[in-house]
Amino acid sequence: MLKNTLVTKKEIEQLKLLPFAMIPVIFLSLMPIVRGIYAGFTDHVLGSEISFNWLENYRIMLNDSLFHQSFRFGFLWTISVTVSQIVLGFGLALLLNKKIAFTAWTRVFMLVPWAMPPVIRGIMWRFMYHPHVGAVNHIFMRIGLIENPINWLHCFEHTIPAVIVVGIWGGLPQATVALLAGLQLIPPELYEAASIDGGNKWDKFRHITLPLIKPITVAISALLFMWNFNAFGLIFVLTGGGPAGTTRVPMLFAYEEGFKFGNMGYAAALGNVMVIIIGVIMFTYVRQQMKERA
Amino acid sequence: MKKTKFNKIVTLIPSYLAIATYIIFLVFPLLWMLSVSVRPEAELTRLEPSFIPETVILEHYATVFSGPKMIQSILNSIKVGAMATVGVIALAIPAAYALGRYSTRINKYVIGWVLVSQLFPTILIMIALLMILIRLGLTNSHFGLALVYMVWTLPFVLLMLQSYIKAIPQELEDAAAIDGATRTQTIMAIVLPLLLPGIAATALFAFVSAWNEFFFALVLLREPELVTLPVMLARLVGREGVARLGPLAAASFIATIPALVLFGFLQKWLTSGLLSGSVK
Amino acid sequence: MRSKILLLVLMLIFTSFFSLIGCAPVEEEPAVVEKADGEKEEEVEEEVEVIELTYLSLAWQEEVIEAKKDIINTWNEKNPNIQVKYVQGDWGSIHDFMITSFAVGNVPSIFHYYSTPIVDFAGRDFLADLTPLITDEMKNDVFEGAWTSVRLPDEKIYGIPFLWESRITLYNKDIFEEANITPPTIEDPWTWDEMREVAKELTVDKDNDGKIDQWGAGFGLRKPAGMMLNLSLGFGGGFVKEEDGKHIIEVGEAEKNLMRTLKAMLYEDKSTTLDGIGLSGTKMLPGFYEGKWAMIPVIGVWARHRVTTDAPADFNWGVLPPLKAVTQAQGASTQTLSIPKDAPHQEEAMQFINFFLDTQNMAKLAQGDWLFPTRKSSIELPEFQTEEHGWDIATASVEHLKMGPWQLTPGFAEFQSRVMNPVLVEFFHDRLTVDEAAKRIEEEGNNVLSEYQ
Repeated sequence: MLKNTLVTKKEIEQLKLLPFAMIPVIFLSLMPIVRGIYAGFTDHVLGSEISFNWLENYRIMLNDSLFHQSFRFGFLWTISVTVSQIVLGFGLALLLNKKIAFTAWTRVFMLVPWAMPPVIRGIMWRFMYHPHVGAVNHIFMRIGLIENPINWLHCFEHTIPAVIVVGIWGGLPQATVALLAGLQLIPPELYEAASIDGGNKWDKFRHITLPLIKPITVAISALLFMWNFNAFGLIFVLTGGGPAGTTRVPMLFAYEEGFKFGNMGYAAALGNVMVIIIGVIMFTYVRQQMKERA
Repeated sequence: MKKTKFNKIVTLIPSYLAIATYIIFLVFPLLWMLSVSVRPEAELTRLEPSFIPETVILEHYATVFSGPKMIQSILNSIKVGAMATVGVIALAIPAAYALGRYSTRINKYVIGWVLVSQLFPTILIMIALLMILIRLGLTNSHFGLALVYMVWTLPFVLLMLQSYIKAIPQELEDAAAIDGATRTQTIMAIVLPLLLPGIAATALFAFVSAWNEFFFALVLLREPELVTLPVMLARLVGREGVARLGPLAAASFIATIPALVLFGFLQKWLTSGLLSGSVK
Repeated sequence: MRSKILLLVLMLIFTSFFSLIGCAPVEEEPAVVEKADGEKEEEVEEEVEVIELTYLSLAWQEEVIEAKKDIINTWNEKNPNIQVKYVQGDWGSIHDFMITSFAVGNVPSIFHYYSTPIVDFAGRDFLADLTPLITDEMKNDVFEGAWTSVRLPDEKIYGIPFLWESRITLYNKDIFEEANITPPTIEDPWTWDEMREVAKELTVDKDNDGKIDQWGAGFGLRKPAGMMLNLSLGFGGGFVKEEDGKHIIEVGEAEKNLMRTLKAMLYEDKSTTLDGIGLSGTKMLPGFYEGKWAMIPVIGVWARHRVTTDAPADFNWGVLPPLKAVTQAQGASTQTLSIPKDAPHQEEAMQFINFFLDTQNMAKLAQGDWLFPTRKSSIELPEFQTEEHGWDIATASVEHLKMGPWQLTPGFAEFQSRVMNPVLVEFFHDRLTVDEAAKRIEEEGNNVLSEYQ
């Protein structure tokens, strides 16, 4: 009973802090999203009348082998890219958190992939991967890693890893910045106290750094997971989803359905399915991680 | 004494090697782009690519500056990005505090919204959003675009800020409360200074996503004078993705600089958190 | 402190609220008002309304952009009552931009695009029917083949075709001379078999290390479907058949012959480099300059422009006429100007198009993009007949341009990108035989088409 009233009181406290963010959110975010979700239950084809068709889109989706293919690659892509970004980003953040020379410059230059305009990122990598004039083949052949030039973006063996490397490159700065800021938030007093208690480096890392960095790690890994799952611009420029659809992520699939072929209803339905599948994964992940802390 | 210094340097070598590897991986495409931007196009088609151009020319930069209104679009992007960033951070701080310090049913709803808004394909929302914006008279204005960016960056800004707030030990606030400070005072005096690195990081995220955004800017701003940088750059790419690499690289290099300068500026805050934060 | 925060909160609420009811973009509005005032004054004087049109252009090379702006400026000086504004678009986003614009009804007066999506847009009722607006002069001067690219089965026309392209072969003159090979002429073009023989002859391992140093040919096979469709006409095929008003995908002997020929060059004759799989024609150019392949067959005519800007100064190259299978026929698409259905002032827009695409202007635009004008009177101009950069041979190929039967097939875009391209990529990687690929294209293709009919 007592607990119940306490919760409501908290909620009121909380609501006091929220309202002024809500008006634009309702108009410019919630309303269009609701419309988008609704479109997923219609047969909307560009230029035709729209009618509600219940779950017809989802029935079609069940038998759509290209949809299954795109989801399989979507998970492979998202998981490998996100995990690498977090692991590599954490490593870099730890290095940059040290008080050693050149870190200020490094902190700026590590942000380069992020600062480069998106339109050129894909084009530059495509150029570097070019089998004849590209830098990648040239360097790899120089150091003897490969013997013959490889057509990185258009052969069945190498395209997926080649694309994943670019994906990691593109999101590493985000992971590093978020984690570095997290490391900076840890009060040095805690480390000092631990030193007094006789803790060694590893103890400090495990008992201070890791627990305190956890909320932001959860947040940024969840965000990166969603962004990577939704990112298709880079892949679109690099491979266009090829060869033979092997790098077509679900988002690219939905985009093609909606904007290239005009099947807006089906595209929105794909969006709904993505929201549900990834949403459930993320929600359980975020909640579980938060609970563990509490 | 000398020996310890030597030892220290030796122990640092692996760190520097690691940093160097990271930087090469991250910066190489930019350097390559710089190298492309200052050489004749005929040199780009050599089968033996050389990193250092044989002849250095500035022609591509001249092309870029003489042609489309490059500078104008950079200024437009800075304006929109700044408005969106300041706006979203101001909106998000109290809301993030509410989410980070309390744990109620509302958190679930907010997280639900955050997830849906990040996951639902933005491009499919475009038409509905554009209709609303036209009705509200918000198209063809930088303010309208900035408002859209604010709303669409708010979800991840909230999520990040609230997790930084969670990382600040509650005990610090409690101590202040015991000293008789009100909640607002506590937030301003204790939380905000400690949160500075988190705010800097989050602001960076908000700014960059506005700075790089393409499609909203494309459909919202129809007046040529209002065009932002990503839209301007896309025009240098022709049919079937055939681009004149030289001018495109030159334009992109110019476009990269403001973002890097901003990063250089913000990175101080990114790491200055506890220097200014006093713990009572 | 508390009051400060409250103030901030209130300010934010107000700004966001007012922005929503449309009072916010104050900074922009005065300018518009002023402009309108200025126009009003004019109105009083001349008592005519000034019509403002927007022209969405896809030109992306400086010279063409300048040329277009010049033409528009001339028009604006001559026609004070119909003012045209140049708006820049880009090829990468035009499709998404137009779809969004159609959906919300906020459209440019005139836009530049190409025939395939124009037919699709027309089918969705997004475009104005231009048939009654086209002058007889233009109707007769533009090639019939170009008109068919924008004409729907109901005989209505939804775009003015102004540029088109064919596919030609680029060859390395030095290599040809060294091997004593005489290039074919317009009157007596090579057949595919003749080209195959030459390609075999020109494939050599110069240093006897077991690796080929010079290939006879290098096809750019990045998106093979478009190329195969266009070439199939010359083989007497076309991939699509109409039966009882229904469109059916059919891979017959003609199409299989084409597929067999290309595959044989790649894997039997070994006279064509495998590097071309996945690369566009232009991406094959660097190797061409270095003599790694003697020919780039079936590359777009506009690629000549790249050669003139990119190739080393001493590079000696030429153009060969389209290869002959049964005929030299090729499929082609045109670049177009269209008027959206929702656009006001359509008649005035058409007046502008008539001026913008007159004989001289169309020739200027075609030269700028290294493509062909669709007007007979333009293509007869000397700049399209000169031997320089192979214009004469390239221009002669125009008579072989035809519209493919797939042009009006509903759902063809989906078939092409979801079925035909991926299957052909696997085919060229030698993962499928001709018959396997043909079967998959037919089965999966007809599945896709059935959803649209």
